[in-house]
Amino acid sequence: MVFTEAKRYYVERRIAERMAATSIDSFPAYFAFLRSEIRDEVEHIINAFTVNETYFYREDHQLECLTKDLLRERIQEKRRGDAIRIWSAPCSTGEEPYSIAIWLLENWSEVDNFNIEIVGSDIDTRVLGAASAGIFGKRALMRLPPDLVARYFEQLDDERWLILDDLRQSVQFSRVNLVETRQTRPQGQFDVIFCRNVLIYFDDESRRVAAENLYDNLLPGAFICLGHTESMSRISPLFEVCRYSDAIVYRRPREMKP
Amino acid sequence: MPLVRRGSSETAAPRLDASTLTAALAGGSIDERWTAARAAAELPNGLALLSDALSREADPRVREAIFTSIARTRIPESAAALLPYLHSDDASLRAGALDALRAMPEATAPHLPGLLTDKDADVRVLACELVRNQPVGEANRLLRPILATESQANVCGAAVEVAAEVGGPDLLPLLAECAGRFPDDPFLGFAIQVASDRIGSQASNRG
Repeated sequence: MVFTEAKRYYVERRIAERMAATSIDSFPAYFAFLRSEIRDEVEHIINAFTVNETYFYREDHQLECLTKDLLRERIQEKRRGDAIRIWSAPCSTGEEPYSIAIWLLENWSEVDNFNIEIVGSDIDTRVLGAASAGIFGKRALMRLPPDLVARYFEQLDDERWLILDDLRQSVQFSRVNLVETRQTRPQGQFDVIFCRNVLIYFDDESRRVAAENLYDNLLPGAFICLGHTESMSRISPLFEVCRYSDAIVYRRPREMKP
Repeated sequence: MPLVRRGSSETAAPRLDASTLTAALAGGSIDERWTAARAAAELPNGLALLSDALSREADPRVREAIFTSIARTRIPESAAALLPYLHSDDASLRAGALDALRAMPEATAPHLPGLLTDKDADVRVLACELVRNQPVGEANRLLRPILATESQANVCGAAVEVAAEVGGPDLLPLLAECAGRFPDDPFLGFAIQVASDRIGSQASNRG
């Protein structure tokens, strides 16, 4: 990884996040801690700096929120057998949409009462190919309890696991640039969108266009989850802030007051 | 398994022509105006249509789409169309115009010298915020006359906040000069001290 002077703020912010997470208040002390390679800190800081690298059950407090609050609200206006549509964009190599699928199967008591559609989209066709293939390494599975790994994956060798065919067949993948309305519109409208850690990489104009596209991709009253360092309020006034016990998310208002 | 996989539920929207968009912007429902405002940025005369629509539009969601579409046109004339709204009594219009200008820094740049010397101090405060998105060298150049001569403490405060983020060591004497003009304003003195310390420490870190 190479970070130029222009990325100084990016680097400083991630180091500051790790210093806060480890309760270390001086950089020399943090650097010594990092070099000592204890408590997986090297892994934590690498995770903080990589963009595409992700893993199953990442930010699982939002998955808690999904079943405990968001879907509970969404099904108030649905009948048994209706569709519930969830969009993971960007989905990278598939960890997020598959995590949503596993989480729902494991944790949502209403899961059999609705037709749940999960769509994963990304601008990068290589990661979409990997997502469809559904083969993951140890690092991607590190947060999953062993019994879930045993239940939803087939071990191919010491380093690779293949997600069950049923799951692979139930998540739909598509190539989408979030800034291109012609690409976002055909995805239809969703009950919940996970759009984590991507808007921060856009310039102001692209962020505004993406926010409006995402607004159009939400059903009235539906929710969007961003990464924990992101705030939709700083991007667009179109959404309502919803504070739940496990996460802060944003909602497309049911109707805008004139 | 309760998970199902279907094809796309919608097809791409057809391209809308200028007359359809004009009619929708002028007399459509909120949803129609929103859609037309979002599509109008791609028309050759989109800026004129959008500027006209903005002067009449009362719905905040449609206004937001108009602001975004104007920002997408990214030419100095688009920025010029938004400048009058920085003087608006309506806070949402002022904020909407400011955000849209912020989203097109290159188109806004030619207007900044005028905005920074506007006779309305509130506009000068907003203009300082727009300086933040300019390339660092240009931002420093724009901040110099404010720090050197601006008579309103609030405008200086806005400039100092931007200087703390993008300022180089060349601004340090001007920051001191600015503090000297407002000896009875403890907040400004404090802000200038913080900005000066930050600029000084960044300069020493870079060697």
